[in-house]
Amino acid sequence: MNPWLLVGLPALAAALGVAVRRDDRLARVVAVVAAGLTGLGAAVLWALDDRGAITGGPGLAAGGLSIPLDLAVDPTRSAMAAVVALVVLAVQLYSTWYLATDDRYGQFAATVSLFAAAMLLVVLSGDLVLTLVGWEVMGWCSYLLIGHWSRRATARRAALKAFLVTRVADIGFVLAVVGLAAGARSTSIADVVGAWRRPGACIDAAVEGGSALGTALTACAAPDANLRAVLLVLLVIGVLGKSAQVPFQDWLADAMEGPTPASALIHAATMVAAGTVVIGSLFEVFAASPTARWFLGVSVSVTMLLAAVLAFAQSDLKRMLAWSTVSQVAVMLSALATAPLAAGPGAGLLHLWSHALFKSLLFLAIGWAALAAGGTAAATLRGSAAASPVLRAAFLAGFLSLAGVPLVVGGLSKEHVIAVAYDGAVAADGPGVLVLVSLVLTSAVTAAYSTRGYLVLTAHVRQRPVLAGVPPVVPVVLAVLVALTVVGGLVVLTGAFAVGEVSVFWLVLSLLVVGVGVGVALRGGFDRDPAEVLARRFTPAADAGLGVDLLYRRAVARPVLRLARVVAFVDTEVVDAYVRGAGTAARVAGWAGTRLHRGQRPSAGVGLVLGGVVVLAAVGVLAWS
Amino acid sequence: MSTLVTLDPLVLAPALAPALGVVLVLVGDALGPRRAGGRWALPVAAVVLVVGAVLAARGSFGAEAEPLRSLCLPAPDGACLWTAGPRTSSLQAGILLAAAAALALLHDGRPRPRDGAVTAALLLAATTGGVAVAAARDLGTWVVALELATVPVVALVALRGTRGAAHAGLSLLVTSLVSFALLVLGVALWLTATGDATFSSATVATAWEDPQRRAVLVLAVTVLVSGVGFKLSLVPFHAWTPQAYTGADLGTALYLAAASKLSALAALLAPVAAFAGAGLDAPAVVTVLAVPAVASLLLGTVVALRQDDPLRLLAWSTIAQAGWVLVPLTALDGAGMRASVAYVLVYAAATAVAFAALGRIGAGAGARTLEGHRGLLRRDPLAAGPLALALLVLAGLPPGVVGLVVKILALGPPVAAGVWPVTAAGILAVVVGIAVYLRWFAVLLGGPPDRPAPGEQAASADGPGTARRSGRSTTAVLVLGTAVLALTSALPHLLLGGLG
Repeated sequence: MNPWLLVGLPALAAALGVAVRRDDRLARVVAVVAAGLTGLGAAVLWALDDRGAITGGPGLAAGGLSIPLDLAVDPTRSAMAAVVALVVLAVQLYSTWYLATDDRYGQFAATVSLFAAAMLLVVLSGDLVLTLVGWEVMGWCSYLLIGHWSRRATARRAALKAFLVTRVADIGFVLAVVGLAAGARSTSIADVVGAWRRPGACIDAAVEGGSALGTALTACAAPDANLRAVLLVLLVIGVLGKSAQVPFQDWLADAMEGPTPASALIHAATMVAAGTVVIGSLFEVFAASPTARWFLGVSVSVTMLLAAVLAFAQSDLKRMLAWSTVSQVAVMLSALATAPLAAGPGAGLLHLWSHALFKSLLFLAIGWAALAAGGTAAATLRGSAAASPVLRAAFLAGFLSLAGVPLVVGGLSKEHVIAVAYDGAVAADGPGVLVLVSLVLTSAVTAAYSTRGYLVLTAHVRQRPVLAGVPPVVPVVLAVLVALTVVGGLVVLTGAFAVGEVSVFWLVLSLLVVGVGVGVALRGGFDRDPAEVLARRFTPAADAGLGVDLLYRRAVARPVLRLARVVAFVDTEVVDAYVRGAGTAARVAGWAGTRLHRGQRPSAGVGLVLGGVVVLAAVGVLAWS
Repeated sequence: MSTLVTLDPLVLAPALAPALGVVLVLVGDALGPRRAGGRWALPVAAVVLVVGAVLAARGSFGAEAEPLRSLCLPAPDGACLWTAGPRTSSLQAGILLAAAAALALLHDGRPRPRDGAVTAALLLAATTGGVAVAAARDLGTWVVALELATVPVVALVALRGTRGAAHAGLSLLVTSLVSFALLVLGVALWLTATGDATFSSATVATAWEDPQRRAVLVLAVTVLVSGVGFKLSLVPFHAWTPQAYTGADLGTALYLAAASKLSALAALLAPVAAFAGAGLDAPAVVTVLAVPAVASLLLGTVVALRQDDPLRLLAWSTIAQAGWVLVPLTALDGAGMRASVAYVLVYAAATAVAFAALGRIGAGAGARTLEGHRGLLRRDPLAAGPLALALLVLAGLPPGVVGLVVKILALGPPVAAGVWPVTAAGILAVVVGIAVYLRWFAVLLGGPPDRPAPGEQAASADGPGTARRSGRSTTAVLVLGTAVLALTSALPHLLLGGLG
């Protein structure tokens, strides 16, 4: 099956969706049918089990740079494409109900389709240019989705913030892509990996071939290890921005201003996880550079713990889920930062896979609960899971998985991540120990806030919240996701993800850690919100994201604006003065010339002619002699 | 070879055609004096000119690598008084077509020419001179042909009979007399320096060896450039140009702006080619060419920026463009001459289109200010469209790509030869020039005026037929000229292919 279909179908649906956006019914049909077909296609692609197949694209040759525009298919990519397609289908089905009364449903559905196309392009891309295209289109779509309710000032601000922060980080990403492609003289990911994996190979070959070291060094200028470290750090900066890691973490919590299905899409399977996919596809190069590993490792270690603590103390449960996403994405990236070269990126990608399932489940469920309760604050949502038995099951499965309880999908993948981090720590090349410590602490805190979420949502309340008119499709979507969350761990058996064995030791240890977290959360008993018991004073600061927004404004926005003012002043007052002066000079000269030619007597002309001859002769003779 | 000189009428045809045309017109006028005001003579003359142009174009696009030669003398072998390479042939074709365009405008002009036969005869005579000077390689023919190209034009300007025309004619006459004196002096000095009555590279190279003869040669070039500079409207020999353009009727002005410039450049190429062929490092000659070039570029462009009368603007633009024509010649090599010819041909075509558009609008009677052209593109697209294209070509902006191409071509040789002052002046002139032409272009494009400008009131007072008043021949010039500009813009190598 041609993987271009998987990218083209949602893109086509987006174009069609924009065309029929005025008609909700048509837009709904287009969005859902396209998402369904994409899901079917992804399943077929996975089932066909092409190993390492490359599908040629419309290749270009730009001078010395070859741009093949290939798509690549292997079991890991197919599995991820399948989960992306599944989440997109769930989101499209869910939003037919959730946004049924929204006057801009058509635009929303079309944007989701485009978003899906972009993410599938990134997942299946075998070419850095395609990756970049998908990456940027996702950035733009996330702006549109977060700002969907653009009548609200907060939504507009959140959308702009997300866009600006990710765009700033994208500077690094674009530079890295350009540099990597230039060194490899190709944008094909296979070629890039081949060229940068062993940067010394060219020099070694030249020296063995008998040329002097100096000439070999000049001949092999492009891929060298230092340059590789710089480029990979730039790449990581781009990834940190898109994945909302420290220091770019603050945009994601604000992005909760978007509709809940959009949050489910952005958080679960697409945007924030894209960085994991990109680093995963370049893993062989990445793993060889300790600098880049340390850079990523430090950032994600700080992020996962910080975000987990912030998640625990949030007064708004939707924002709690947002911070948990930040933390969980850090967990995925930590597997990439520490995994030994031999282990490969499988553990991180497996966690991406499982996170997509349980996080979309949690978001879609909380969206329903919030509609039933009338708000997303913890106090409002209290006991709202009682609105439907499916909801209760969804929260149970989702939070179990998020907490990392063994054998559910989230627990399984997290154990693999911890195992890989341990291998990395033992190998002692890279940030393994730091990441491992952070992972263990984070697991405990994650268990604590998962417990909190479950306790608050399923608390016993006197008046059961009731929400009428929920179409059967919503519980069905949730039920499917619940089932997959529980048994999704079986994906390991298909061999789609290259992961190692998990020993019983790790199983016991993680149970212990989770137990500690749950125990701490239950200190206040089953009826009280653990955040109120443990972190009442910390909650306002956590709600404000520790004031990082203010820091962004003070440390980045204000200096940039000042610099812009200075530049504008120099431009208008100094540079423009010369430009205006040139214009005035030309006009004055023209005026003087016109004055000179006002007298129109023939004698004046003759005088000019004779004068001119004398001048020319003088100049000619002088120049000659 | 028994005869004294060889004579090939087919080779001489570009000059013989207008000369025969003069005879034809004069005989016709003698047989039927003042028949219908002599208006019949104008179409006849135009046909003669077009035939001549076709015969000349044979030389520019012909397969022969050898230049067309005739009037060859037996004594020094290879000395032919008429030598027309592809470059010369293209110039001749340009001159003949420009003269035909001038005739078309004269035909449609109001008031009509007082005596069509005389007008046609004068124009044909001037054209004969212009065509002959392009191919002349000996001093005698060269100077006589150049005067033949000038003197009838003075009469053409004065023939209009208005006060302004008389003034302009007088001014033109006086300056042309001075220029004639200079040319004769220059030719004499050239003969003294080289001892050769032809413009030949070999004798120039010999003369250049001797310091004393070199001084005389430099002086000769100086005086010759001055004399031709008057015809090319180079600063400081330009003073007659705005006067003549506004004083003469539109057809004559077109002739002065296009055909006259082509023949003047053709004349200038003879001494320049002698130097270029000798391959001399002659800074003095470069300076003599560069000073008027720079002065024309700067003064012409800057003053054009302030003009409000379309005709005056075109006059000053001519002065600036004359500087452009001289720019590539400062490199003193073959590429420079080729670029110069390409430039002058494109300039002539664009200017002819601009004048024809003014003829259609009725510049003579109606709008004498730029403001009168406001929104013309909507009122009269057939006039304003070609005018806009011509302005863009003159400014060197796309879609007038050919204007840009020839400007780049013109700057190439001085850059290669390292004549930086000229290059710098050229770049300045490009920048200011864009402002000059876009000023007019913006008015054409602009919306209708808040209140009718005075010129427009006059135009509307003439009734609805104002725009139609100009006849079919002006429209033909417009359409053909626009086609040439558009075609060469799309395929610039068509133009360059005709230059050898």
